[in-house]
Amino acid sequence: MDTAANDLLHTDIHQYLHQHENKTLLRFITCGSVDDGKSTLIGRLLYESKVLFEDQLDAVEADSKKWGTQGKEMDFALLVDGLAAEREQGITIDVAYRFFATDQRKFIVADTPGHEQYTRNMVTGASTADVAVILVDARQGILTQTRRHSYLASLIGIKNVVLAINKMDLVGYSEDKYQAIIDDYTTFAKQVNIEHFTPIPMSALKGDNIIEPGNAMPWYRGTTLMSYLETVKVNSDRMQEQPFRMPVQWVNRPNLDFRGFAGTVASGVIKPGDAIRVQPTGKESTVKRIVTRDGDLEKAVAGQSVTLTMNDEIDISRGDIISTVDNPASSADQFESTVVWMHDDAMLPGRPYLMKIGTRTVTATITDIKYEVNVNTLEHTACKNLQLNNIAVCNINTDQQVAFDAYTDNRDTGGFILIDRITNNTVGAGMLHFALRRSDNIHMQAVDVDKEIRANLKNQKACVLWFTGLSGAGKSTIANLVEKKLAMQGRHTYLLDGDNIRHGLNKDLGFTDADRVENIRRIAEVARLMVDSGLIVLSAFISPFRAERQMARGMVDADEFMEVFVETPLNVAEERDVKGLYKKARRGELKNFTGIDSPYEAPENAELLLDTSTMTAEQAAERVIKELRRRGIISED
Amino acid sequence: MTPDSSKTAETVTSDDTPLLSESLANRRRFAVQMRIDGSPLKTITQTTGLSAPTVIAAFKAWNTGGWKAIEPAPRGRAAGSRQLDDAQQTQLQRVLLTSPPNDGDSPLWHVGNAHNYLTETGVSLTPRSVTRYLALWGLTPPPRKFDAETASDCVPVPTPVYRVTVSTADGRSVFATRDPRGKLHWIGFDGPPTTDRIIDFLNRLTRLGSSRSRSIVIKGIDIARTNAIRAWITENCCNTDVFTASAASLTKISALAPQAQHAASVDQGNEQQNDLNVSRLTMNQSSTARQTEPVPTMTDSNTAASINTTSSATADGLLPGSDTLTHLQRLEAESIHIMREVVAEADNPVMMYSIGKDSAVMLHLAAKAFYPAPPPFPLLHVDTTWKFRAMYEFRDRIAKELGFELLVHINQEGVAQGVNPFTHGSALHTDIMKTEALKQALDKYQFDVAFGGARRDEEKSRAKERIFSFRSAQHRWEPKAQRPELWRQYNTRKQKSESIRVFPLSNWTELDIWQYIYRESIPIVPLYYAGERPVVERDGTLIMVDDDRMPLHDGEVPQMRSVRFRTLGCYPLTGAVESTAATLPDIIQEMLLTKTSERQGRMIDHDNAASMEKKKQEGYF
Repeated sequence: MDTAANDLLHTDIHQYLHQHENKTLLRFITCGSVDDGKSTLIGRLLYESKVLFEDQLDAVEADSKKWGTQGKEMDFALLVDGLAAEREQGITIDVAYRFFATDQRKFIVADTPGHEQYTRNMVTGASTADVAVILVDARQGILTQTRRHSYLASLIGIKNVVLAINKMDLVGYSEDKYQAIIDDYTTFAKQVNIEHFTPIPMSALKGDNIIEPGNAMPWYRGTTLMSYLETVKVNSDRMQEQPFRMPVQWVNRPNLDFRGFAGTVASGVIKPGDAIRVQPTGKESTVKRIVTRDGDLEKAVAGQSVTLTMNDEIDISRGDIISTVDNPASSADQFESTVVWMHDDAMLPGRPYLMKIGTRTVTATITDIKYEVNVNTLEHTACKNLQLNNIAVCNINTDQQVAFDAYTDNRDTGGFILIDRITNNTVGAGMLHFALRRSDNIHMQAVDVDKEIRANLKNQKACVLWFTGLSGAGKSTIANLVEKKLAMQGRHTYLLDGDNIRHGLNKDLGFTDADRVENIRRIAEVARLMVDSGLIVLSAFISPFRAERQMARGMVDADEFMEVFVETPLNVAEERDVKGLYKKARRGELKNFTGIDSPYEAPENAELLLDTSTMTAEQAAERVIKELRRRGIISED
Repeated sequence: MTPDSSKTAETVTSDDTPLLSESLANRRRFAVQMRIDGSPLKTITQTTGLSAPTVIAAFKAWNTGGWKAIEPAPRGRAAGSRQLDDAQQTQLQRVLLTSPPNDGDSPLWHVGNAHNYLTETGVSLTPRSVTRYLALWGLTPPPRKFDAETASDCVPVPTPVYRVTVSTADGRSVFATRDPRGKLHWIGFDGPPTTDRIIDFLNRLTRLGSSRSRSIVIKGIDIARTNAIRAWITENCCNTDVFTASAASLTKISALAPQAQHAASVDQGNEQQNDLNVSRLTMNQSSTARQTEPVPTMTDSNTAASINTTSSATADGLLPGSDTLTHLQRLEAESIHIMREVVAEADNPVMMYSIGKDSAVMLHLAAKAFYPAPPPFPLLHVDTTWKFRAMYEFRDRIAKELGFELLVHINQEGVAQGVNPFTHGSALHTDIMKTEALKQALDKYQFDVAFGGARRDEEKSRAKERIFSFRSAQHRWEPKAQRPELWRQYNTRKQKSESIRVFPLSNWTELDIWQYIYRESIPIVPLYYAGERPVVERDGTLIMVDDDRMPLHDGEVPQMRSVRFRTLGCYPLTGAVESTAATLPDIIQEMLLTKTSERQGRMIDHDNAASMEKKKQEGYF
């Protein structure tokens, strides 16, 4: 790009390499839709920085003729549209990363689509960005999507925003037009907490104010896009000014003499001798060495991957955060946070998910959705569950103490992802605001009489028999028979079913997916308490979702849970229709009826399968008793 | 000389030539006029400053041809009288450089018969001019001794020794040799040097001179494994020895198929064979048909290391004056973070090792990530059995040096079926020996996470691939079902049968890789550096003839060219580029200046733009 550097490349390659070895790295995201010329802008940046190879250019020229939208001109956009499917559609639908470099910096551009249905992609691309370049079509001015992009950029914590007012060539390079757009945007920016932004009028197609100012807009005296990108402060520099944090990734124990804690410094600076505090355990020590293969370091800063050793033999494991002792990370198990939902399957409050924060993975449940944010209008609305691309402020509980910082202070220790426990998909991302209460004050009360003692008194082992199946499959009938048989043997049991739960504890719940989840969560909690009291608990509910059955299973010990799948083909169950519910559902009088207009997810690894189309209820009950004996829940007498 | 004539001489130097001839002509006209007018010769010479014979000659000319005859003749050689125009040169090159001489006495062209031919066709050039034109066309006698002979201190016998160069410029192949007296002999053909042509040349060469035996040292082609030529050598072994000269060594081409020879000429032949093979080399030069390339060690990168230490980075590797990390430091930290994340969460990870430069960087980073512990996973090389020999040597050495456990997997079914890139084509070969083999290996060892060295800048479809890329139980990649990756959070969870490919170098560019190799003095396979290697040109791609399994087309002969490789894969599928870049900075400089993108050398990508995406969906790494 710079001719001096190019000369150097020809004449003194050693000097050239030395110069380029000391470049810094800036990551940015471009927000805008195809119509704003986003791909053209990136294509031009790649083209001008001369990272394109001859054969790539040849390919683009050939492609331009085939797919291009610029007539005979080179269509820069074709340089950046990747997957074949997208190319045919003429739009980008994912996050693509592009690379180019100037003499000062190497750049990584996250290129994401701009439509609302791709909010997830933009959040992903923005999560690692130092700068957001928000494209505006000068002819259109600030649009709904501009607001959405600005809100998301601000939400994800990008401090440097460029308002790239593109296609100035199509408005006659008018300064008035430019000024009007800025005025319009300034008011809005305040609403989304963007304190400062840099407007640049440009034409990506013609190249004005991209690299060089050009002659078309003599009234503009500000920076060009490239010189802005080359000089703006990168995030990792800012993070060095924050208090020290390092989430521990891996404990390095090659032999008995060495115990190192490997991780990437999330913020701050650390030196040997510095006092540290490990969260959430609260243990303290001082740093002994900063070990790398190239020799010990005198200090490590945010962004470096290092291995620390301590002066004291304290217990530190993966997931802990090593912090400075003066200003350590907080620790809690209940939080308020913003959650961005990223999956087609809706988020249901009460359903447990895995939460990965820093390097720790815990089980987390969204207890309460406070409000949803409309990404276009920023309005707050009430909502019961989260759909793909929804953003909401929620309360979250975790099953154990987590060390954290507010997201606005630290992306690495305050940002988390949510993982579905069944499919293992990344279904959501979140940003912690603050702890809801000091969880340190609540301790589990250890008791002297425990589950085992209680169960032994009853001459049995406590367990949950979790019957699941379609309505009319025969769950309650079989469970009833089993309980009768057990009672006759003198076992202590309790049967949970619709009659004693739906009419009491859960009478506030309906039959939406969200309510079904909550229904099962409460039943599982009750079952857990009863197991703790030493009972054999039978539960007979449709419990259609795998995830909730998984949750119920997770609440008790592994050998205390028996999933009994009462399998009946839908048509058989519908034929029986003991309570006339199927007919009602078919007539549309009953909404969300499992099997009709709400799904039933059959168990994959049930402990016991009872096919009621081939056996009587009596036979099925006998089969359950036999299994209980086999498992040693009840003795063989 | 008279003062006048010296004055004239001054005019000569200060005036333009036409003016001079014009003034001379004027004086001549004036002298003739004086002569007509009856002035005495002495007066005329004094007045005009011309010599008496000039005056007499001018008058004679006027007498016979009138005034016209004393007009100045054009000075110098007439345009085109010896200078050949382009069309003529093209015409002559066609005859002299692509066809044999039709003069029955001389088997090869030399300046003498070329001059005769030109004279016959009406082109009058002196023999010296002919030499000058030949040099212009790139044809000069080979040196008295090749560098290889000096380097190996090896003297070919018997004498005389004919040193032969083979040049392949402009689509022609021209064989040039020098006779014992230093005279140039040559013959050329249209097209590459094929076996037929080489044999034709050798036959002609043996008819040169009166000596009954001779040595021939050839530079520029590799004939060691060309059976037709070795058959010729075998046939002529009683009076002719043939050697090839590479950059550093001289190799004698031994006679073909000893068994056949034995059968033909029993015990006597046996002795002769030994004699041929060894004794004629005065030094202990090994006569193996190929030599292995030396593997550069860390000390080979001395220049890199020493330059590195003079860089202004401070002790902790940060930029001077600030704590800002350089781009390489940040890329390094990111890759290390990714590797540690995998090791902390995976059950049975493995690192795919392709032996290329990206793999070299990946290994280096792995060594750093877990230091002082050794990397807690093995290396897996999916061997198609068609890699360059230099790669195999390098692989075994490096794995040992860095303390990795090395697993090599070969698709034995593919081997049993004889799958190879020549008869089955690149697509099928890659599918069976690479994609299928990889799946087999992952299934066999039950690896759940595999590191790969792919980068997003390599190719458009890679730009969208995640760092953690999920594969179904059937090892398929679903571009639409990728997990979002935010911050430094990677979701490593998966079902039992699923696996994850992890690409720690995703955000590196080719230049970053080279710069890092340079900065860290990372050893790489020597094939990345330029060297004289035997290559054949096919469909515009230079393919190295790395071993005897590569079938040569009819008449095809490997040429020795200074080439290097931008990427390394199966040698029959990997194109070489002509280059003289022998050091890392040279390579980087060349890369930045030439601008042909990296995968161009890989023939599997040539099919169409979407092909890589399809391959990945099917499980190609």
